[in-house]
Amino acid sequence: MAPIRWLRRRLVVIAGLLTLGYLLLPNIVVTVFSFNNPKGRFNYEWQRFSTDAWTDPCGVADLCGSLSLSLQIAAWATLGATVLGTMIAFALVRYRFRARGAVNSLIFLPMAMPEVVMAASLLTLFLNLGAQLGFWTILIAHIMFCLSFVVTAVKARVMSMDPRLEQAAQDLYAGPAQTFLRVTLPIAAPGIAAGALLAFALSFDDFIITNFNAGSTVTFPMFVWGSAQRGTPVQINVIGTAMFLVAVLFVLAGMVISNRRNRQKAS
Amino acid sequence: MITVTTKDSSKNSTTKNGTDTGGGDVRLSGISKTYGSFTAVQPLDLTVPQGSFFALLGASGCGKTTTLRMIAGLEEPSSGTVSLGEQDVTNLPPYRRPVNTVFQSYALFPHLDIFENVAFGLRRRGIKSVKKQVGDMLDLVQLGEQARKKPHQLSGGQQQRVAVARALINSPKVLLLDEPLGALDLKLRRQMQLELKRIQTEVGITFVHVTHDQEEAMTMADTVAVMNAGRVEQLGSPADLYENPRSTFVANFLGTSNLIEAEVDTRNGDEIVLRAGGGKLVLPVARCSAPTTTGGKVLVGVRPEKISLTHADEAGEIPAGRNRITGTIADSSFIGVSTQYVIDSPVCPEFEVYAQNIDRDARLVPGAEVVLHWNPAHTFGLDAAQSLLAGTVDSAGVETVGPDEGAAA
Amino acid sequence: MSTVTDAPPLAPAPAPKERPPRKRRRLTPYWLLLPGILWLLVFFALPMVYQASTSVQTGSLEDGYQVTWHFATYWDAVADYWPQFLRSIVYAGAATVLCLVLGYPLAYLIAFRAGRWRNLILVLVIAPFFTSFLIRTLAWKTILADSGPVVGALNSLHVLDVTSWLGITAGDRVLATPLAVICGLTYNFLPFMILPLYTSLERIDGRLHEAAGDLYARPFTTFRKVTFPLSMPGVVSGTLLTFIPASGDYVNADLLGSTDTRMVGNVIQTQFLRILDYPTAAALSFVLMAGILAVVTLYIRKSGTEDLV
Repeated sequence: MAPIRWLRRRLVVIAGLLTLGYLLLPNIVVTVFSFNNPKGRFNYEWQRFSTDAWTDPCGVADLCGSLSLSLQIAAWATLGATVLGTMIAFALVRYRFRARGAVNSLIFLPMAMPEVVMAASLLTLFLNLGAQLGFWTILIAHIMFCLSFVVTAVKARVMSMDPRLEQAAQDLYAGPAQTFLRVTLPIAAPGIAAGALLAFALSFDDFIITNFNAGSTVTFPMFVWGSAQRGTPVQINVIGTAMFLVAVLFVLAGMVISNRRNRQKAS
Repeated sequence: MITVTTKDSSKNSTTKNGTDTGGGDVRLSGISKTYGSFTAVQPLDLTVPQGSFFALLGASGCGKTTTLRMIAGLEEPSSGTVSLGEQDVTNLPPYRRPVNTVFQSYALFPHLDIFENVAFGLRRRGIKSVKKQVGDMLDLVQLGEQARKKPHQLSGGQQQRVAVARALINSPKVLLLDEPLGALDLKLRRQMQLELKRIQTEVGITFVHVTHDQEEAMTMADTVAVMNAGRVEQLGSPADLYENPRSTFVANFLGTSNLIEAEVDTRNGDEIVLRAGGGKLVLPVARCSAPTTTGGKVLVGVRPEKISLTHADEAGEIPAGRNRITGTIADSSFIGVSTQYVIDSPVCPEFEVYAQNIDRDARLVPGAEVVLHWNPAHTFGLDAAQSLLAGTVDSAGVETVGPDEGAAA
Repeated sequence: MSTVTDAPPLAPAPAPKERPPRKRRRLTPYWLLLPGILWLLVFFALPMVYQASTSVQTGSLEDGYQVTWHFATYWDAVADYWPQFLRSIVYAGAATVLCLVLGYPLAYLIAFRAGRWRNLILVLVIAPFFTSFLIRTLAWKTILADSGPVVGALNSLHVLDVTSWLGITAGDRVLATPLAVICGLTYNFLPFMILPLYTSLERIDGRLHEAAGDLYARPFTTFRKVTFPLSMPGVVSGTLLTFIPASGDYVNADLLGSTDTRMVGNVIQTQFLRILDYPTAAALSFVLMAGILAVVTLYIRKSGTEDLV
């Protein structure tokens, strides 16, 4: 009886950890196979241990070029989407205006639309306008689909903000611009940062919309897609693993710092 | 338009006021606020003299906070003007008004430390060297040690003092306080009431204080305006309001009143003789705010602590000339300094009496026959056309406030 | 002391010299909205219009296309590709259900049982995003390889016999079967289920569990009567965030599937980028969009959660 009861108490925990394992399994495989020395062009079967790829991550033609292009596009798309999205979020939370419902729908629809539909229709527009496909069309598309996510993230934060804080600033001789810079913006910053981070991740990892609107330009996800057809170099596993580690370390460092700061304050 | 005239215009400040050109007075003329079809504040005229501690008292939703916010400039009046001294500030935005506010729940900036919170207003006005001033101000509110802490690291009472310091440091012409003590527990609130009163006396700035707590208003303010449904019901010194309420709302909202419906019998010089149940009651003319035609109805009021309780067996020992009513003790509760009785009497089913615990008569237990009697000078008369329950906890439209207000009287 | 006067008429108020911020404030929201909304109108809404017009055009790439209100394109598209539509709905639906079943325990674990591990687990759920999802999807090729341990284990446990009988695997392979595609979709969109679930679970006051227990509810009854209903907003937005992208996805079907697992996304992509039959591709994506909007609207109505954004 005892082991069954033990199991029943921990059923949720066990199931949850199994799901976590399912989520992380591919990352483990990617990491392990970044040390593979595959036979042939595809890196799907384990052969023998090697650190060749780690010592020469740019050893494959165009790989690092596509990576830097992706990072560039992600940076600009994040900037654009964050600025535009934050403005919309503030307008939605802080003001009453006409056409509110229409604006809300316009924000919601891109999130409720399969990427392939947006990708195809945007390509139709670009073809009709005779636009040159490449860096700019990708950037336009990325800002478009990141915008809604930024609005949602910032809106949540601004909504939970006490409007009396801004009134207090006004009461203490801060004009509208000063109030925004000194009070509103710093308090909304975590929401804006979350939106920006989300936008960066979405843009960096986007494949479907980029694939439609890139022309002959190759971003990192498109490079990976191409290599899935032609042959997967070990280096893409190296890049994938490195990105994963950087992200985890980044977040953990942030957590440690904020923990320490809180502890200091408390003492 | 409502106009309120203080009866108690005999005291010190009237003369000062009469001759004064109103250098720092807050003057509201005909201001009102409507939201769509809802009128939050009825057109209102009000003058708060410079240097006074003024309280706007009322239940939530009575328009007191809206009035305060119109003075601060956070709310645009639908009509009327706001002047500070000679200056019409109606159209000035809040950041151009020499007025500061202590907000409800303080609205301290969470991302700035205490020092920067207090320095905020000075810095916005372009003052560079704020260190000394902020330090002095923090010392005044006894928070010098906490300067580099963030607001969430302070206790409620400390946050409250930061909010006061942050507003006061700008030496405003008027300090507005919006339920500043609402979030504190009872004991701390008592302490802060005295503290605020001390600060006000020290700095001499006009304080306008919004509260729903009648005890708080009476403890702190020189003048209290009781608001109800967007109007000022009555305005005066705390003692005047308490002793001489002129509506059932004020009678019930400030402390407890026993109200009896009576009929005017005769008028006798300065006194009116009324019939209630079988007996007669005497009411001074000066203390009656209702029309008194013979045969007309009047509400007679008396505060529970003014009443003496005598066992029916000793009714003969009650001096003549006192108003008296008979009844049965329905309930009694001992609360330390006094004993509160509820008396079932033919003229009023729940007559309240507070008796000091000096010589407790052991016969005064539920079921005992008693005579209630009081000095007619403590009686007040109200217009019978009002609801008996206005301003009580049970009456519709008046929300009960904090859990610990009920017993305060 | 104060006096409330019988309103002595004040000297006429000096004419308001400045009343600047009040009027202008009415326009502020529009200025704030303008750039972003314009962006969405031009690059999201306008393309839809273009696509709508493309879908009723006829012509050829060489001679150009004209609007001829040729609605037959729609019928042809649906008639030719209904199996792919059906697959999209079935695969995406299956993946959504699996995500809910797999994601709920993890979200629950993070919200109520993780203690000081909570942040670490959250990081581990989000961090894979930074490894390109294409790389991670390719990793499933290794995991599900025919000679790999997973397929070997499933084979020896005769699980594959059952799935073959169900028609979602073929022989003793998993790769290039519907099961692989569903597995990939589930994997890819699982975080989109877990995060909204976690957000709504985290808001639930833990004392409600105690209250339910105090009122004689067994743990499972507590879950069914208290926890799950309160997490409904998370369930609704999680299922939408999973189903919508999954139904339009073509990467999993392409990398992990075969020609027999092609979804409508694959068709649109091929028509648009390889065959260059724009009207058909436009018609297909319009049908997909209309279908999804209908599903979403119905679902939101049914579940009564209007406030998703």
